[in-house]
Amino acid sequence: MSDGHVDGAVRYAQDAELEGQWHAAFVRSPLPHARVRSIDTSALPRECVALLPEDVAGVGRYGCQLKDQEVLADPARFVGDVVAAAAAPTRAAAREAARRVQVDFEELPAVFDPITAVSEGAPLLHPEAGESAGDAVSIGVRPLAGTNVCHRFRLVQGDADAGFARATVTVEETFRTASAQHAPMEPHATAARWTPEGRLELFTGTQTPFNLRADLAGLFGLTEDRVRILAPPMGGSFGAKTFTRLEAVVACLARKAGRPVKAVLDRAEEWVTLNRHPAVVRVRIGAAADGTLLAKRLDCWVDTGAYADCGPGVATKLGYAGIGPYRIPNVRVDALAVYTNLPPNGAFRGYGATQSVWASERAMDQLAERLGMSPLALRRRNLLRDGDRFATGEVMHDVHFEECLDAAARAVGYERDPRGKGLCVLLKGMQTPSRAAIALERTPVGYVVRCASCEMGQGVRESVRLQAAALLGCEPGQIEVPDPDTDSSPFDTRTTSSRSTHMMGRALAKAVADLRANGGERGHGEIVNDGGIDPDTGQGIASTHWHQGAAAAHVDVDEETGRVTVEHLHAAVYAGRVVDRAGAELQNEGSMIMGVGTALFERIEHTDGQITNANLSDYNVPSAGDLPRRLTHELIEREGAEAHGLGETALPPVPAAIGNALGSLGLDLAELPITSERVLEAVGARDRPGAEAAT
Amino acid sequence: MTLRLVLNGRPAALDADPGETLLDVLRREAGLLSVRPSCGIGVCGACTVLLDGEPVSGCLLRAAQAAGREVTTVEGIPAEHPVRRAFAAEHAFQCGYCTPGMVLTVAGMLEETPEPSDEQIVEGLGGNLCRCGCYVKIHAAVRRAAAA
Repeated sequence: MSDGHVDGAVRYAQDAELEGQWHAAFVRSPLPHARVRSIDTSALPRECVALLPEDVAGVGRYGCQLKDQEVLADPARFVGDVVAAAAAPTRAAAREAARRVQVDFEELPAVFDPITAVSEGAPLLHPEAGESAGDAVSIGVRPLAGTNVCHRFRLVQGDADAGFARATVTVEETFRTASAQHAPMEPHATAARWTPEGRLELFTGTQTPFNLRADLAGLFGLTEDRVRILAPPMGGSFGAKTFTRLEAVVACLARKAGRPVKAVLDRAEEWVTLNRHPAVVRVRIGAAADGTLLAKRLDCWVDTGAYADCGPGVATKLGYAGIGPYRIPNVRVDALAVYTNLPPNGAFRGYGATQSVWASERAMDQLAERLGMSPLALRRRNLLRDGDRFATGEVMHDVHFEECLDAAARAVGYERDPRGKGLCVLLKGMQTPSRAAIALERTPVGYVVRCASCEMGQGVRESVRLQAAALLGCEPGQIEVPDPDTDSSPFDTRTTSSRSTHMMGRALAKAVADLRANGGERGHGEIVNDGGIDPDTGQGIASTHWHQGAAAAHVDVDEETGRVTVEHLHAAVYAGRVVDRAGAELQNEGSMIMGVGTALFERIEHTDGQITNANLSDYNVPSAGDLPRRLTHELIEREGAEAHGLGETALPPVPAAIGNALGSLGLDLAELPITSERVLEAVGARDRPGAEAAT
Repeated sequence: MTLRLVLNGRPAALDADPGETLLDVLRREAGLLSVRPSCGIGVCGACTVLLDGEPVSGCLLRAAQAAGREVTTVEGIPAEHPVRRAFAAEHAFQCGYCTPGMVLTVAGMLEETPEPSDEQIVEGLGGNLCRCGCYVKIHAAVRRAAAA
């Protein structure tokens, strides 16, 4: 890793300076659901440009999975939805101009939770179902017409009802997870300009340059080669900077202003830009007396906020990740992505697995207790092994769930004394189908490696550099990896789902072989992973490559105050082959620390759709003082294996490991985060007279 | 107004409005983009600078308050400084956005407490957030720098 980081030399999208650029500010709805009656711009200062509904009347709709989003919203569908915008020579002047735009709204009924939103008579956010974005995505989207359901994912394997009928013990419980804010240290930033030839160029912090190009080309009715995305490194993202965020409105402002325009969000605006899906997951799981799993049913309500964004994809992955890495002959999953009048929720490190693994793995411990079995033994008995079929019908290979689980259990001495300790094991899919490509070119000093993998701190550039140097037999310092540029980088699906080290490593091997076979000057390598699952049956290839991991926690609880101290947290993740050891360790550590925030305190709060903790003082992210007393982890490697993505595997198992550790003390938690108040409630429930007899 | 101060060891005169923050002036007038906006309320430390050797949040400090004083950004910390070397050696960063602020905070911390205990390190880092979660390696970097 270059120490351009340590000396502050890295330049991010927010640092972009385009010649003659103005700055943008947004006029946002103060109401959660409201039609725009009129807009009064008479108080605007002279030196500014306002973007108004009539300026975007000819522009289409956008959205990565459903085209349900307008550049300027009417109606506004959440508090903070952008209904107009302004550009001016300075950021302060733009903000002042935006404040002077007067909007007259007509308030509409609103809905703030996904269960109410799917009930009879709920106000509809998108009465006309959005048009599917087609090949911008790789899943079939199944909106349910006339409802707030923008996607239903269903998986059917065997006969769940028949399985439950044979079960000796069945557990049913409903679990909830809170919304969270990615809070990258660098807020969203975008600079746009239109060239004299009518091309749109964007300098933007994004994980998805080619998806963004397709979405914007569609919006403006341009061919894709008329849109250029340049993607500088991001000051963190964690899913926040995916698909179209500020880019559409900033591009429209630049067009109207006739000059480049740049937008950098204020911290508070991050909470109205993209958050993590809160979810309700009802788990029913049944087993024979010996602990053999017979049936599982999951019903999931995934709150995607006011726009679908990638909510259909999140609901799908949440749905199958909630099955867990187990052999279960009879499975039924229904996962609904549901519109509500809250800011849009989208990709977030863990991508649905965080929510459903919490539910699924808490339910496993509850089942173990009912069976009178050790939670470790129950899991071992049912874990997927090489050659087993997952509920999607695909046969599993290079399977290491048991190794991960055993390593986690060993690290906290689980078998010696399980009191105060909890375990969690998970599987998480990688984007499938997908494509990745590398273009190599020899230079006087080494090689240029062009690829569209975006750097957000995860170290993809270093991982590509190290893999290229090893394959080409040169020093990493001889490898140049330029920032992604859709004009010169070969197509890549996107930098998500911890796929880049794995996919680009394979594309590199092909590119190097091509270079060697063709004179040593240039090489091209492309990897195409086919697959995908049927949204109505859940059958198919969910993932060509599985992320596998486990975590164990040892906790201490102060039952007077409800304070949980994590004495020891350990994660074990299957890495296959490690490319960049320090980078790999940082991914595990960063995932675990983010997992601690999700487990214990991160939660977006809102009243009538208005977020009430949209700052880094009221919304806490983990600081150095929030770490477990011991935080350890391991990378499980195997000679000759492929590199496995590590960017998020160690996050989803953390909350359930901590929750199960509390469960071992009789404290039954069903909702994240595990606040002191909830722990005290659980203490009260455990100690209530008669509680023992009831269970 | 003209803000006169000692910036990274050299006298400097910068244009500033009286109400502006030091963060905005350092970025715009001095081109010091290592000083970074993030939370806007002085809790995250991404805009940390040393004011007469003490770590402060550039987003809270009015530029005028720096008049006549010594301001140090990471550009003023030499490459061979033990804290910079320790951060690089321990790979104590991911996206790097918070790193300049971390380096300055740790440099200030070690100036005051050359041999900090683990508790003092955790306390000293309390005002600097790293959303990538590099704290394990940052902690190791502080120990390494203290031992250098």
